[in-house]
Order: sequence, then C-alpha cells, then structure tokens
Amino acid sequence: MTDYWLSKLFFDLQHDAQLVTDSRADMAAVMERYRIKPEVRRALMDDDVAALSPLVNAYLLRFYFQVRGMPQDEFMARLHAMSAPGAPAAEKVTHG
Amino acid sequence: MAKLVGIFAASHGPIIARDWETMPRDHRAKLTAAFDEIGRRLRACRPDLLVVVSPDHWVNFFINNLPAICIGIGDEHDGPPEPFMKKVYPHTVLKGHAAFGRHLLQTALDNDFDPTLSHRLTLDHGTCIPLWRIGVDPELPLVPILVNDLEAPMPSIRRCLAWGRLLRRAIESYPEPLRVAVLGTGGLSHSIGETTMGWIDETFDHACIDAFARGEERQLDAFLTEQLDRTGNGAHEIRDWVIAHAAAGSSGFELIDYFPSPVTLVGAGFASWKAPAA
Repeated sequence: MTDYWLSKLFFDLQHDAQLVTDSRADMAAVMERYRIKPEVRRALMDDDVAALSPLVNAYLLRFYFQVRGMPQDEFMARLHAMSAPGAPAAEKVTHG
Repeated sequence: MAKLVGIFAASHGPIIARDWETMPRDHRAKLTAAFDEIGRRLRACRPDLLVVVSPDHWVNFFINNLPAICIGIGDEHDGPPEPFMKKVYPHTVLKGHAAFGRHLLQTALDNDFDPTLSHRLTLDHGTCIPLWRIGVDPELPLVPILVNDLEAPMPSIRRCLAWGRLLRRAIESYPEPLRVAVLGTGGLSHSIGETTMGWIDETFDHACIDAFARGEERQLDAFLTEQLDRTGNGAHEIRDWVIAHAAAGSSGFELIDYFPSPVTLVGAGFASWKAPAA
C-alpha cells in the first residue's frame, strides 16, 4: 500500500539539496514537515528497509537509502533478506 | 513529408554514468562497442530530429500527477538533474522541436489518444545516458516521449504498440521534409529496490529478444503482458522498446548486442530496426 507522505518525503529529497542537508542534520525535524505516521517514523529512524519497502516505489526507496549513505551492498542484502526462508512474507509490491 | 529513417533501442542505468571510469575495462569496452554501433547507425541515417522514448525516474512527475504518456513539445528541455550525470553530460539545455512535438500531440488527440504535454521537460539519465554514450550531437533537436514505466498501473503493451503505430503516422504526416529517428531506452531485465535487486533475468531477456525478432505484435503483447510482473521491475521499461518496435512496423528487428551486466545491474540490450523503405 503506497504511503503518500513517505513517498512525498523521498521525492522531495530527490529534488531539494537543502532538504537532504537538513535531513542529515536532523531527520526527526524534517519528518515533522510531513504527515508521517508513527510506525513509519520509527522505520525511518531505524533505517528499516523491510518496513519501508512496501510503502513506496522501489526506485524512490533506492534513492532514499543512497541519500542516507547506506552502501549498495548493504541495501541489497537487506532487501534479499526479506525473501529469505523464514522471513516475514513480503507484501506484493504493486509499484515498479 | 517527413520520413522515419532509423529506429533504435538501448539500455540505460545510472551506474553506467556514476561508475564509468572505475568499472572493469572489459565491461566498459562491451558497453562502448554496443553504444558506438548505435551511434554509427544513427549518424548514417542523418536524422534532423530524434524522438526519444524513455521513462521518467521521478524527475518530472510524482504520484500526485502521473501521466501514462507525456510528449515534450517545447523548443528546449532541461538536461539531466542528477549530480552523477552532470559530470559526464554537462548539457543544461537540450534542443526540442516544438513544431513536430505539437504535430505529434495533435495527431494523437485526433486519433483518440490522450497524452499529457509539457513545454519543458527535464531529461534524466534514462534519456541522457544513451544520448551521451551513443554520441548524439547535442544540437540535434529532440522530441521526448516519457512513458510511465515505473509505477503501476502502467500503459498496457497493447497500448504501447498502438502508440508506436501512431508515432509512425505522425512522422509520415508531418509536412516538412524532416528525417526522423526514434530511440527507445531502458530494459532489458533488471530489478531495482525490490527483494530481487541485482537479479538479471536472462531467460526473460532472451525470450524478449526472440519475441521482437519474430515481430508479431499479438505474440509480443501476450508474452510481455504475461511475463513482466514475473521479472524484475526495471523490465517494465521494455514499453519504450515496444513503441519503437511498432513505429518500425513491428518488423526488421536486429539485435546489436545483449549481455547481462551485473556491474550496472541491467540486462544490457541494444537493437535497431530496419527503417521503412523510402
């Protein structure tokens, strides 16, 4: 299920260098500018790829974790872990 | 009247630009050879105008306003905004072709298609990596067609085939003697930001290439409609190849090269189609 405000945050980060700077200085304060749900806020603060993945377009997700400075190998490993045996069933992502 | 003089397709991927200087030399050589061959063929057909069919990677559009198809009808467009692109493709303004863009738009509307329009698009890596690597003259006017290849629901393959035929009709009904080439960008299989990220589905890619080579539209439609949701999300960009394919009359496909490119995370495909006889 697409989360509009999470998507908006990620989209804005792609377009606004100052927002990126602000997010690196104080992510909590940046989240205040968006209607981010409490559980999504926690996932953002925890860099929880698995929790955020079903909520946004996959390309925006990738971009966000690049901005966060997560190495690509780590990002991919966290994604792959979602489909590993024993992992919680991933929601079928309906966006590309 | 204008005429269609060349039809091409090429993969893209941000890593091609971001890591160009540091990627393994043999891999860079393979990419270079494929892009160069498209460049050679494109120059040989001496286009006056290039229609580029590409996805938009969340640069012009967002989910509050997401067209299925947008035609760039401006005299100018903005170059790529991504920092990694500015280093390799520093063109901040790219020439458009307003007259042909408007003609294409009007032809679409007259034939019951309902695209959106933009007088100034920003052309991201999906458009500009192929332009950069193919060596397209930055003075060559572009008419961009941006296709929603990223966020479901996306245009059906059937509709993309119809768009390709419409594009051909628009070219051949344009009253000026322009030589028009078409370039579809994206694909083949890749998986970005999903649980299979990094997966290159070679089985899909080879079947896809075979379907283009056979040419037959209903089979291509059936295959892609069935398979696209079963492979990586990046394969949805094949819609841009489908539009090129139908513009070519759904025949004359020639594979220039295909190889899995784990370095860039894409099934790298490069193709051209025979231009219609004059």
